[in-house]
Amino acid sequence: MNRYVMYNFVMVSLLNLMLFVPNILFQYRYHGAVSSLIAAAVIGPLFGIVFIRTITKYPGKGVPEILNENYPRWVTVPAFLFFALMWFSAASITVDAYAVLINRFFNPDANVLVILGVMCVICLYAATRSTLSMLFIMEIMLLLNVPLIVMLLVKAGGSDQMNWDAIRTASNYVQSMPKLAPLAAATFIFTGYLNLSIYNRVLPPNYKFKRGYLLPVFGIGVLATTYFIPIGLHGIDGVSSYLYVWSATSDSLAMEYGFIERVLFVFLILYLNLTLIYTASGWHQAMEMIKSCFPKYKPSIDEHPVPRSNYVIVSVFAVITVAALYLLNEKHLTEFTSYWLIIRMFSEYGLVIWIVVHTLLRRGAA
Amino acid sequence: MRRFCTACVAFIMLSLLMQGCGFKDIDKRFFVVAAGIDRTSNADKPYRITLRLAIPSPKAEPGASKSQLESIDTATIAEGVRLLKGHVDKEIDFGHCKVIVLGESLVQSDYVEALTWMIRRRDIQSIATVAVGKPSAEDVMNANPPSERYPGNSLFLSFGTEGTDSPFTLQMFLFDLERRYTERGLDPFLPVIKRDHMTYMISKVAFLDKQKVKLTLSNEETQMYNQLSTQFKKSSIMATYKGKPIVALLTGIHRSYRIIEQNGQAVIRMKVRLRCILEQAPRGLYNSDWRQIEKAFSDQYSTKAETMLDKIRNTGVDPFGFGLRYRAMHRGSDATWNRWVKLYPNAKFEVRTSVKIDGTGLIK
Repeated sequence: MNRYVMYNFVMVSLLNLMLFVPNILFQYRYHGAVSSLIAAAVIGPLFGIVFIRTITKYPGKGVPEILNENYPRWVTVPAFLFFALMWFSAASITVDAYAVLINRFFNPDANVLVILGVMCVICLYAATRSTLSMLFIMEIMLLLNVPLIVMLLVKAGGSDQMNWDAIRTASNYVQSMPKLAPLAAATFIFTGYLNLSIYNRVLPPNYKFKRGYLLPVFGIGVLATTYFIPIGLHGIDGVSSYLYVWSATSDSLAMEYGFIERVLFVFLILYLNLTLIYTASGWHQAMEMIKSCFPKYKPSIDEHPVPRSNYVIVSVFAVITVAALYLLNEKHLTEFTSYWLIIRMFSEYGLVIWIVVHTLLRRGAA
Repeated sequence: MRRFCTACVAFIMLSLLMQGCGFKDIDKRFFVVAAGIDRTSNADKPYRITLRLAIPSPKAEPGASKSQLESIDTATIAEGVRLLKGHVDKEIDFGHCKVIVLGESLVQSDYVEALTWMIRRRDIQSIATVAVGKPSAEDVMNANPPSERYPGNSLFLSFGTEGTDSPFTLQMFLFDLERRYTERGLDPFLPVIKRDHMTYMISKVAFLDKQKVKLTLSNEETQMYNQLSTQFKKSSIMATYKGKPIVALLTGIHRSYRIIEQNGQAVIRMKVRLRCILEQAPRGLYNSDWRQIEKAFSDQYSTKAETMLDKIRNTGVDPFGFGLRYRAMHRGSDATWNRWVKLYPNAKFEVRTSVKIDGTGLIK
C-alpha cells in the first residue's frame, strides 16, 4: 500500500505548474526564490515524513475521525469546513486555470465556460465515487501519464537550447533571505502527503511507511526542474514575462521525429489528465470533510450505491467553480492563488502540528 | 447502472452544447507557411505584412507545391493580419508558420514591436525560425524554389539539421529571440536570407542589440562564429601555407573560455581545440612535417577569431553571452551587471587554438 501514499505525493508535486507555483517563484527570482527553494526542500519532507508516520498510527481513521473522537464538535466542525474549503479551492483553481489554458491553446473560439462545464461534469462523476475507487483512478491515471511527463521533463533538461549560464546566474541570487510567498509556493510541491488525512482510512492496519527518502529525492527533483528549466530556456530576465511559463517551455521543445512536432500539445494533454484527477481527488476530500461534520456520518471506504449527499455536495462545488471563472479574470485567479498558497502553508503545518502534538500527548497520558 | 446512464446522458447533452464552436474543417483553412514583416516609408502605415499561404494539393512531389501570396500595408501588425482575412476565402491559421522573416528595413529601425506581437500570439509556434530578409521580407517571400515538395518547405529545411547542414546558416528560434531580447548579457543574432532568383541564399548572420541590427558578418566570419558559439562541426577551416590555400574539414571541435579580470580590464581567454582532415591542399603534404601545417592553421585561426571578436565587441553587442557568463560567475546583484557594462567595451580577447590534423584524405 506504500505506493498509494507515493501516488498522492507525486500527483500533487507534478501539478504545481497548474497552481502558478513557478510564476510566483519567478517573481521573486532576484529576491529570495532560491533560498526559499532550499528552505522548502528541508521543511517540506520533514513535515511530510512526520505526518505520515503519525497518521499511520491510526489505522483506518482519517483526520476527521481522530479529531471527532477527542474534541468537541464546536472545535472540529469549523476546522473541517476550513479544510474542505482549502481542498476545494485548490482543486477549483486548477480546473479553472486549465479551462483557460484550453481556451488559449486549443480552441480560442469556444466558450470557456462550456469547456469548464464539461470538465466539471467529469470531475463530478469521479469525485462522487468511493474513497477506494478514487485511489484506483489515481493509480491508473498516474501510471499512464507520469512516464510521459518525466520524459518531457528530461527532454527539456537535455535540450541544446538550454543555457546553463542563465541557470548559474539564477542560483547566484541565493544570498537573499527566503520570503513568505515563494516559500509557500515552493512548499506546495511537498504537500501531497496531506491527502492521507482522508486516504488513511483505506490503508491497512499493518501498514508501515517505507522508503521515506523518496519524498525529498523526488520533491527536490521536481522543485529544481520547475524552477531552473524555464530559466535555462527563457533566460533569467525574461522568464517572468510568460503567463503560462511551462506551456511556453514545452513549446520551446521540438520533436522532429515524433508524431507531433510541437511538444506543447503532448504536454497539454498530459496535464489535462493530471488536472482532472487532481480536481476529482481534491473535491472528493473536501466532500468527505464536509460529510464528517454531520454527527451521524459513518465513513466507509467502499460504499455502494453512491449516497445522494455526494452528488449534492460536489454539484455545489462544480457550480461555484464555474461561477468563479465567470466572475474572475486571469489576473484575479493568479492573485487569489498566491494568497491561497500562503494560507495553505500555515493551515497545512497547523494541522500537522495539531495531529502530532495530539498523538504525543495521548501517548504521554497513556 | 441507472445512475451511470444518467451521467452519460448528461455528458452527451453538455457535449451537444459544443456544436459549431470554433472547429473549422481543414479545407476551410489557409495555413500560413511563412510570414514576412517589413517597414514601409509611409508613416501612417508603417508595416507591410506578407503571408505565404499554402494551397492544399493532392500531389506531394518536387515542384508540385502551390502557394498564394498576400500582402498588405497597415498601421499595426495585428490589424493587418485581420484585414488580410478579407482578401482570402478561408480562415487564416498561423499554426504551421515555421519561418518568420523580418525585413531589413524593420530590423534596421526597431524590431521590438514585431517580436512582442509574435510572442504574444498564441498560435505562432515558439519554435518558429526568425530571420532577416534582404533586401526585404516581401522579396524573400516572392521566391518560389522549383524543388519544393510542399509550400514553404525549402525555406525551413534550409535551417536546422533536418535538411541541409550548412555551416553558414544559423538558426534562431522565436523563443530564443525573446530570451536574447530580455536577457542582460546575451544579445540576439539573426540569419540573413537573401533572395537569389528562384531560391534563397542564407550565408550571413546579423547581430542585434535590444532594438536594431548593429553588425552583419561576412560569410567566412559567419562560419567562424558558428564554430565558436555553437561548436558546429560540419564546417571547414582555411589557412595559407607556403603561399597556397589549404582547406580542412573539421572532425571535432571543442571551445571553452574563461573571463579573467586583470588590472580593471576583462580578459576573455578562449581555448579552441580543432581536429580536421585536409580537403583541399597541394600534393605531397603527407611527407612534410604536419606540425608546421597545424601551426599555420592554429596561428591564422587565432588571429582571425580575435579580429572577429574585436569587431563584435566594438559594436557593443554580445551574442556569445560573455556578459551572462560574467553574471554566472559573480555574485547575483545589479552591481555585477553594472560592472560588466563598464568592462565589456575594453575587454581583451586572447584566443588560443590548437589544430590537430587527423589525415590528408585519400591521397598523400
